[in-house]
Amino acid sequence: MALQKRQVWCNEWGPEINKEDYRGVWVYIETDEGGVHEASLQLLSKGRELADKLETYLAGVIIGYNVEQYSNEPIYYGADKTIVVDDPQFKVYYAEAHAKALAYLARKYKPEIILLPATMRGREVAPYTGGTLKTGITADCTGFDIDPKTRDLIQIRPPYGAWMLAHIKTPRHRPQLATARPNVFDVPPRDETRTGEIIKEKIEEIKTHKVKLLETIKIEKEEEIPLEKADVIIAGGKGIGTKEGFKLIEELAQELNGVVAGTRKAVDAGWIPYERQIGQTGKSVKPKLYIAIGISGASQHVFGIREAKRVVAINNDPDAPIFQHADYGIVADYKDIVPILIELIRKRKQEKQ
Amino acid sequence: MPLKIVVPIKWIPNTSSVNIDPETGTLIRTNVPSVINPPDLNALELALQLKDKYGGTVTAITMAPPNAILALEHAIGMGADKGILITDRVFAGADTLATSYTLAKAVEKIGDFDLVITGQETLDSSTAHIAGQMASWLNLPFMYYVTEAEYNEENKTLIVKRLLEDKYEKYELPLPAVISAAMKTNKPRHVRLIHKIRAKVEKPIITWTNQDLQLKPECIGLKGSPTIVTKIEFMGIVPRKREIIDGKTPEEIAEKLLEKLIEEKLVEL
Repeated sequence: MALQKRQVWCNEWGPEINKEDYRGVWVYIETDEGGVHEASLQLLSKGRELADKLETYLAGVIIGYNVEQYSNEPIYYGADKTIVVDDPQFKVYYAEAHAKALAYLARKYKPEIILLPATMRGREVAPYTGGTLKTGITADCTGFDIDPKTRDLIQIRPPYGAWMLAHIKTPRHRPQLATARPNVFDVPPRDETRTGEIIKEKIEEIKTHKVKLLETIKIEKEEEIPLEKADVIIAGGKGIGTKEGFKLIEELAQELNGVVAGTRKAVDAGWIPYERQIGQTGKSVKPKLYIAIGISGASQHVFGIREAKRVVAINNDPDAPIFQHADYGIVADYKDIVPILIELIRKRKQEKQ
Repeated sequence: MPLKIVVPIKWIPNTSSVNIDPETGTLIRTNVPSVINPPDLNALELALQLKDKYGGTVTAITMAPPNAILALEHAIGMGADKGILITDRVFAGADTLATSYTLAKAVEKIGDFDLVITGQETLDSSTAHIAGQMASWLNLPFMYYVTEAEYNEENKTLIVKRLLEDKYEKYELPLPAVISAAMKTNKPRHVRLIHKIRAKVEKPIITWTNQDLQLKPECIGLKGSPTIVTKIEFMGIVPRKREIIDGKTPEEIAEKLLEKLIEEKLVEL
């Protein structure tokens, strides 16, 4: 309570709202040429739980062009209703237009919570929406709960320093906005027998700045298992020393049906792309097996592997902190151990055949 | 028309040098040096490249305690023309909405600007909120994750290339605008002595307090922040076996490890 007293309403931003006017949980459903984005569906499972605790409804909100075809999707995945805005003005994606449309809908329907996926687009739309509505926003949450006394959303995220989770509330402002990290929550089961209300919203042309899309260049990427879903992860750090060194990591990953990852230093050195970074500023993972090679074990990295079932560390420095965070440690130069390990695995596989 | 660019930056503890005490599970934070938030260096570099190409000025601003003047000095050392330190106890404890509001008001006070370039996110809190929120306060067009920018002087627009998960996009934005520079996509220039010497003479860093901005206390700092941290939950370190696998030869060690992994069904061969 003392905490809430510290806040004073800023009238410059608009008159104080009445929290009781706001009901309902919304999930912003991101779509593109490929259909509905999985990260949005993941939020429907958490959204369902929050709506049930609040004894209110859960809605998916779809904004775009030619998107009416997806209207049933949020409902199949647990929503009570879908609010869909299908309009040629959204033919070209522009964050300001989406944010302003979402803010318009929020002013009209007054939901108490809006969750967005922390995808690149979601992270672009959310802060502008929050700024337009003059409400608080929390980024990259990994957990949510409800304070039953106040109906406040408890937004849980790792703050600086790792090993801690901050619980954040928006006690006086509505709606409460948050983005959530992809692949933290599971996609709920799809049930095509579920039915719900579909609200087709018409929005007059939203006034945005005249931004023109000139060109789109697809990046051809191999379909890789997302780190967050991998059972086996082989990760390298500064100790790998060279980009060539990472080839050994890749080879080992291939033999174990694993995925390659690395530390911030490995990313900074350009040995692996940023999407493969594990740690506080990268991703948190939950594999069965995590093999850390040439990784010293800075807390910001180890933070990301808390939920690994078993951690193996290979490092030539016996004092490296990683050994304190590993189940099995090998004190050796990785160049001496990893090729032999690969050889051994290959031999075992052949013997089995 | 030369480009007048404002770059908001942040002075943060160097996260990669923080370690955890395995026995107590507490953070070892002694002598953690502070640095400019690394993605802000990419923003400064993008701004300076534009200035090199089209002329104009780059002004670095930061809302922070007085010691963050070091961040502004670094920016000036890279080639920024001016620095504004926005510092006042009443700004302390601000969340992203209150921070972006204060920064937006500072940019309005600067007045004559064409472009605001922020870093993609800060490494100490990773919200990526400030650019979007500033754009909404200033009612300007905005674009995240920009890797390259070109100025079209004739139309007074900016052509930006930006990087998403699976594609590059090229957009044309009317100026003034707010953009965020994609992380790690350019090589920030080093601090040069000549700029430092110039700074000694020109004294390009000024300080603004709330006397200068005249913002209502209930709209800034902790008081003006809609979000509050209500609890910090310490997660504790995960208990691990901490078993060292030893052996006379690498072969023996590798064999022992593989046995364990197979036994525990962690790998399938």
